[in-house]
Amino acid sequence: MRDVAIIGVGSTVMGKFPESLPYELGAEAARAAIQDAGISPGDLQFAYCANLYGGMVIGQAVLGEIGITDIELTNIENACTGGATAVRKAWWDIASGLYDIGIAVGVESITTSPMAGKLITPAKGDITGELGMNMVARFALSQRRYMDMFNISLEQIAQVSVKNHRNGCMNPYSQYRKELTIEEILNSRPICEPITLLQCCPSTDGAAAAILVPLDLAGKYTSQPVTIAASVLKSGDYAFRWEDMTFSDMTSKCANSAYEMAGLGPEDVNVCELHDAFAMNELQHYVELGFCKRGEEVRLLEDGVTELGGKIPVNTSGGLLSKGHPVSASGVAQIAELVWQLRGQAGERQVAGAKVALAHVIGGEVTGLESGAVAVHILKR
Amino acid sequence: MKTRVPFREGLFQGSDEEGSLLGARCRQCGQIIFPGREACLNCLGHDLESICLSRNGKLYTYTIVHMPSEHFTPPYAVGWIELPEGVRVFSQIRGWQEYPLEIGMDMTLHFEKLWDEEEKEVVGYVFRPSTNGGA
Ligand SMILES: [Zn+2]
Repeated sequence: MRDVAIIGVGSTVMGKFPESLPYELGAEAARAAIQDAGISPGDLQFAYCANLYGGMVIGQAVLGEIGITDIELTNIENACTGGATAVRKAWWDIASGLYDIGIAVGVESITTSPMAGKLITPAKGDITGELGMNMVARFALSQRRYMDMFNISLEQIAQVSVKNHRNGCMNPYSQYRKELTIEEILNSRPICEPITLLQCCPSTDGAAAAILVPLDLAGKYTSQPVTIAASVLKSGDYAFRWEDMTFSDMTSKCANSAYEMAGLGPEDVNVCELHDAFAMNELQHYVELGFCKRGEEVRLLEDGVTELGGKIPVNTSGGLLSKGHPVSASGVAQIAELVWQLRGQAGERQVAGAKVALAHVIGGEVTGLESGAVAVHILKR
Repeated sequence: MKTRVPFREGLFQGSDEEGSLLGARCRQCGQIIFPGREACLNCLGHDLESICLSRNGKLYTYTIVHMPSEHFTPPYAVGWIELPEGVRVFSQIRGWQEYPLEIGMDMTLHFEKLWDEEEKEVVGYVFRPSTNGGA
């Protein structure tokens, strides 16, 4: 198996873009990544494009827009994990020796999709959905128990949102660039108690892309290749095996496999982008990703360990809460942020001397499973 | 009067006082599942017996939902009820305005109207805080 490096990344600004069609957003991100890698579109041998709401063969429309046709191109849907899945598949196509250069794109345009503004109705046969479950309720149920069992306050949970919005102010790609106070977060309208609006990530349009080559060819393109030290993707297990709804077994197992693959541990991670779809997720993921023991996660946040300037800054991009959550693009956007961090190109939000970075996404609801899919990537320079 | 129909066949039997949720127990590995199935999801064995689950359980967690829903007018409450068999059941929770919900409280199964569908009244299981001094 060959070592794989990322030689170029690109992203759109995240936000709500009713005037931009999905293929236009995807093309913008792909073009940026191609330019960043210093290659020409014709160099690409294969592509993966992740998308949920854009309709069939959107990858062909995205890449057709910038002159890439007549290659092996696969479209991917894996809910919030779609973008990370595209990176994982591109990683394998290089690692296995099948191809020498390819692109992974994630794109979402919720505003222009038929889903926009619609009530999301449960799939036929989805019993919990019919009985009133929804995506926010699922996490509100976890949060209620989390607060109760571990004596965690809403103010402490809101601190996650405060931190990530502060980081978002320093990221030109972020959907929101505005600081929030604990009061604003807790006084925003209740969605599913105890989750209020500003504890949730927004609905976001945007795209991101990454270009991968074998590490031993990377020097041809760049003096700053970023190595993919681990790439792990897992589907969810049955909920009846899920003992504790405040701890994601999927994330924990996936992270452990990734650390093993990289030959690294949580203590080696210098910067992390994790799935903060809801503020409380971030605290739970600190534990599952091994950054601290159970019961220490609030202290990690309050002591500034996960702030910029701390030992493991988390969600320097603003995270899903502030940068936004363009579903299938999020996994690739995380990789772009971490590549910039490892190259020292993250501007005001730069983590000094970052060498090892971890990206984590999880999502997709299926009745009877913990969740749909989870992915962890570890990058290093 | 409207015809009463269960919101799904095979999930429960009987009505309020003597009704129960229908689960299944695997004779091979002992796993209890709800709803029941043809095969055990734990060991994939096919030797399952249908069982009536306990009518009383404890509130594992809950939320008051303020979002629009296909069948329910917000705000409404939902939660996971942990039954003595070790099974967690997702359910509408009723009576939360009168009896403030608390994790760990005793809950009792009821069968009530869930929503109307044209000429039919769709009936299903809900849980309410136990009011007779516990389970
Ligand atoms: Zn079994």
